[in-house]
Amino acid sequence: MSLTQELISTLTAMQVEAGETDYSKCGYHIGVHLKDDQVRNFAQAMLEKGFYLDFVTAIHVTPQFQIVYQFAKFEEACRVNAKALALDDGSIPTISDIYHGADWHERETHDFYGVSFTGHQDLRTLLLCDEDSDLKPLLKKEEKLLSIEGITRKAVENKDTKAEKTEKTNHSPEQE
Amino acid sequence: MATQTKFDTQDKHRFLLNMGPQHPATHGVLRVVLEMDGEYTMGIDPILGYGHRMQEKMGESKVWPGFYPNTGRMDYVGAMPFNHGYVALIERMAGVTVPERAEYIRVITSELNRISSHLLGIGAYVLDLGAFTPILYAFDDREDILDALEDITGSRLTYCYYRAGGVSKDIDDTFIRRTRAFIENFRTRIPMYNDLVTNNIIFIKRTKDVGIITADMARRYGATGPVLRGSGIAYDIRKSEPYSVYSQFDFDIPTGENGDSLDRYNVRIHEMEQSLRIIEQALDKLPDGPVYEKPKKVKLQPGDCSFSVETARGALTYYLVGDGSETPYKLKIRVPSFSNLSLLREMCEGMLIADLVSAMGSLDLVIPEIDR
Repeated sequence: MSLTQELISTLTAMQVEAGETDYSKCGYHIGVHLKDDQVRNFAQAMLEKGFYLDFVTAIHVTPQFQIVYQFAKFEEACRVNAKALALDDGSIPTISDIYHGADWHERETHDFYGVSFTGHQDLRTLLLCDEDSDLKPLLKKEEKLLSIEGITRKAVENKDTKAEKTEKTNHSPEQE
Repeated sequence: MATQTKFDTQDKHRFLLNMGPQHPATHGVLRVVLEMDGEYTMGIDPILGYGHRMQEKMGESKVWPGFYPNTGRMDYVGAMPFNHGYVALIERMAGVTVPERAEYIRVITSELNRISSHLLGIGAYVLDLGAFTPILYAFDDREDILDALEDITGSRLTYCYYRAGGVSKDIDDTFIRRTRAFIENFRTRIPMYNDLVTNNIIFIKRTKDVGIITADMARRYGATGPVLRGSGIAYDIRKSEPYSVYSQFDFDIPTGENGDSLDRYNVRIHEMEQSLRIIEQALDKLPDGPVYEKPKKVKLQPGDCSFSVETARGALTYYLVGDGSETPYKLKIRVPSFSNLSLLREMCEGMLIADLVSAMGSLDLVIPEIDR
């Protein structure tokens, strides 16, 4: 069994939604969707499987923040992208005690978005200075804020609608 | 950049020492607050953000080609792979094809840039340890690379050379001649570096068994690049997730054994030799043809996309979320030194301060890259 399938079956056994993705299109092998209470167990499982933490970040969408965790492996090519929805108050459990490198990534995400990582020992500002700690520079303005659907990859459309779409864009005046 | 530090020195024998932000050994504006007990560092708190420019916000506030110049301004010592990651990400998202000659040119210029970055890294590291001469030799060799690259890219450090669909300008015979001459010359210089630095007893005493990083520690912190390979793990994105035309070249991944500062230094020396091999092969095989095909208007389709490349300092990941417009909805830049520096606390606690300078220098940090 390949590593990808093995990992997917382990995660499915933990009732985590995981599936193989098209690496040539999105740049990772496995896509995972987490509930907020699964984040820590998931991180623990990834550490036991020998993955390293690529990054943690957030995406500002309605209704809640989407928190993105990306992992990869030293021994073979297997990149895992996990997305979790933060709670209504913009918090999510920390993984900084499991992956120590997440400490700074979470602090940075807290700086930029105001996501609070519950259980994090030290959420001081990291990159922003103290005076700007309320700035939250990466929050979207209301008119630009999208819902999760707006940034989700469309399921593979059947070819007719796709061809129609390209035709349409080809004819649009802004193309020139 | 927090103004409050973590330490509360109740113990009157202990005192706080500010290393930086303007300190020669931090190579940029990094401040490290140290809790000292005599000459021993008992607590370490790196303070970042003095060079913070909010690159990610800039990425989200202009159309995607507008971010090209920014990519060369994070890691100003090894900017070429930062260019590469961004254009390759757009190419992956939009399915843009790249002419083969352009891919070869990308590999040649990226590897040249890797050598110049390692030369600076090594020179500055040895300078940290008190040896002044080697950096002059390193800069001499580096100058050849910068001159050659300046001719075709127009910049000496902050390159903006790659485009989605190719590169902005073809290389000419002068560049090829210069590069071949450099390879020949540099091969004779490496033994000199070994005589001057690598086998120097003082250098070995200062670096051997200093700042040991174990494989488990590297995994928990996400350390990559020479910092990781010094610990014996042969992880290189050029091999594990081959991008561009790297799969067509024959090269090795040098690794260390103990994970100490000396191993990290040695990995860099050997990587320069491997880069020479790659450049030589690429020049031999360099195909003819165009170097740029202008893509049709690229809209960033809804959905996310990630692209990782191997920079001189480790794994760089661009992660972009599109919303159907030409402006990224979200652009995350995962820089290697950020994760590499985060293990400083665990690596250096309880060390002599002189050893801390040695261990920190061996991480080859570029601060504007960490701060973004």
